[in-house]
Amino acid sequence: MTRTTLYRFGTLIAFVLLCVGFSIAAPEAFASQANLANLVQQIAALAIVATAATLVMTIGEFDLSVGYTASLSAVICFVLFAAGVDIFISLPLALGAGLVAGAINGILVARFGVPSFVATLALGTIVSGLAFGISGGASLFRLVPDEFKLLARGNILGIPALALWTMLVMGVAGFVLTRTEFGRRLRAIGGNALAARLAGLPVARDVILTFSIAGGLAALAGLLLASRLGSVQHTMGEPLLLPAYAAVFIGTTTSPTGAPTVAGTLLGVAITGVLANGMTIIGVEPFVQRMLTGGIILLAVLLRRIGRAG
Amino acid sequence: MTATASGPGPDAGIALLALSGLDKRYGATHALKAVSLALAAGEAVGLAGHNGAGKSTLIKCVAGAVLPDAGAIAVSGTQTRFSSPADAYAAGIRVIHQDAPLVPHFDTVENAFLGRPYPRRHGMVDRRAMTERVAEIARAIAPDLPLATPVALLTPSQRQFVRLIRALADDGRILILDEPTAALPAEDAARFFAVLGRVRDRGTAILLVSHRLDELSGFCDRTIVMADGGVVAECTGAGHTVAAIISAMGGGAPMAKVQRTLPDAPAILALEGARTRSLPVPIELEVRAGEIVVLYGLIGSGRSEVLDAIWGVERLTAGAMTLGGEPFAPRNPGEALDAGISYVPADRHRTGLFADESLVFNTTLPLLSRFRRWPRLPVPSRSAETRAFAEAARAVGLKFGHAGQKVRTLSGGNQQKLLFSRWASRHSRLILLDEPTEGVDVMAKAQLRDIVRAMAGDGNGVLVSTSDREEALELGDRVIVFSAGAIAAEFSRQTADAAALSTAAQSKPQFDPEPA
Repeated sequence: MTRTTLYRFGTLIAFVLLCVGFSIAAPEAFASQANLANLVQQIAALAIVATAATLVMTIGEFDLSVGYTASLSAVICFVLFAAGVDIFISLPLALGAGLVAGAINGILVARFGVPSFVATLALGTIVSGLAFGISGGASLFRLVPDEFKLLARGNILGIPALALWTMLVMGVAGFVLTRTEFGRRLRAIGGNALAARLAGLPVARDVILTFSIAGGLAALAGLLLASRLGSVQHTMGEPLLLPAYAAVFIGTTTSPTGAPTVAGTLLGVAITGVLANGMTIIGVEPFVQRMLTGGIILLAVLLRRIGRAG
Repeated sequence: MTATASGPGPDAGIALLALSGLDKRYGATHALKAVSLALAAGEAVGLAGHNGAGKSTLIKCVAGAVLPDAGAIAVSGTQTRFSSPADAYAAGIRVIHQDAPLVPHFDTVENAFLGRPYPRRHGMVDRRAMTERVAEIARAIAPDLPLATPVALLTPSQRQFVRLIRALADDGRILILDEPTAALPAEDAARFFAVLGRVRDRGTAILLVSHRLDELSGFCDRTIVMADGGVVAECTGAGHTVAAIISAMGGGAPMAKVQRTLPDAPAILALEGARTRSLPVPIELEVRAGEIVVLYGLIGSGRSEVLDAIWGVERLTAGAMTLGGEPFAPRNPGEALDAGISYVPADRHRTGLFADESLVFNTTLPLLSRFRRWPRLPVPSRSAETRAFAEAARAVGLKFGHAGQKVRTLSGGNQQKLLFSRWASRHSRLILLDEPTEGVDVMAKAQLRDIVRAMAGDGNGVLVSTSDREEALELGDRVIVFSAGAIAAEFSRQTADAAALSTAAQSKPQFDPEPA
């Protein structure tokens, strides 16, 4: 095994070691089927938001609004439920809100040249205000249809619905990025946007489309989270943002050029999920958990830097 | 040479900078052949020559970036030896590149002190002392320059003043300016030379390198002309004219004109009175199928901007364009591509290639939908792509290891062939090539030009934009010369010759550009 492959697979090895470590430390509690199902439930929303972040980072941009958009769509959905609106109307409206927020991000970036960091931070702030206003700041849980609860809590052939959602979203995103013309164009835009434009690619259209998809995925993540919890607060999506980007950055350590990939992001999500789950089981204090998680992200990226330099 | 006097001092008879017998070889290439040159305080000397004449090597030797194989450098009469750029800097030599970086958020004063020890007072940076030092110089050379404005808000010509002030504030005595006006509009260039004149009058020695020969004859006291690594002429006094410099620069090796029989085809592309934001003067232009039309001119002369208009990068603000007789107004490169136009951009690293991606990725990208696995699904077939790449690579003579290797591992010539290979599988109505052989070796140049001729031979219309005069003469069935944003002259293959092209490229525009 060469040095480069060691660095490339180092993150995967670290993940396996983490699992082995927790299994030894807490064989009954960690390495059980019940805990695995629990783990999948915990990381599904994060995985979907991280997939959105992966798409946007592939074109070399950031979307800081994903967490707020997740909150907004969940709030819209539950307010409509409370008003007695049918699920077949409220769900598409809630998802549509995410798509529109994403499209506005994309238009600001592609047509008006606003740096994505600023555009999505500003729009995210507006969106969080909207979610606050629409929800009235209260927790929403009235008149939630049973069908909606099945979105996250059901299962098919014994596989939890949230696991299926995660596989579906990440599978499609992975296929699109690696196998389709659209995915190829996104990699080109992220690699050299000027060259992509001069090669005749529809760069502005693709950028708007990518941000729209990211907004739609964020909305989906918000709805799945709401379905699992059965209630909605207007701030519920915000804690997804930083772990999502942490997962993407951990994932970039597995790619030879440091480009984000869906498979890498899945690994990043799994690492952050297993860490949180395992540390809680063996009784690590929450403040220590946070410090360790941050330290591990830094370590992964640092090892990668050193590997590249050497 | 005068490099024998002892002791430094601004004595009138001692050259501030004296080079004698500088010689440098790179392998088989004799880049500098015993070049001698003297520069006095308060004197401005021009340096002219074609690309590859040895100007860059000479500058690098003086700047300490390259160690000459033989010869001597003396500053103020003292023999010195520069083993690093820091040595040359300590001797007061400042090379100012046209795009030398400044910190955009810093103002002139802060930029002038960048990377130098700040004056201190009570342990704090003494902003007042900094400002006084800079203001003293600014008053003398560019009194209108706002010193407290971030340079990001200054005009390109004002930024050049900042670079000059920075050089002088740090005791620069010998300034070497490399194409200082290439990015400046004509009126700004005039302002720049007014400032540069005051720099010279302070007793600074100036060596000015420029392709704009009227600047050399207009500003400098004399001009040294280099060709093939050596000094071939020194133009002074009444002989210090653009025409004299052009004739001294010579035509390089005489080359065989490639005869091509042209089909009597109709015009594939026509521009009538076309103007864009960067082309203020109306352009008339025609390209026929199977014909190679070369747009020749200096950087910024407007030739590449014509390609931008045809490729949909810039939209016409006036006039009309037709493609195959039909009105044609592309709003973006994608529309130009769909209309049957192909384009190879200049500056492959910045605007052409995807360095971290594979060779196949780079070749198939613009026409990717041709390589679908199933016609209706936008999913490329790996095998179809690999086959297409192999075919395109053969067509352009690409030397490579394997199709999946990264672009950055290829040589410059092969990277350029890779850009060409994008369009190899296609019968284009029109192919646009911007600086098609820039920065590649002689062998690759010849191969690339063969490909260009083959493209035209297949019936494609070819429009080449170049600053390389030999290339213009060698490729062009017709050569249209641009100067200052307008067409200055047009030649057929029979009437084009080196001196005529250079003279036209140096000419002043015939029109007054309309105010924007």
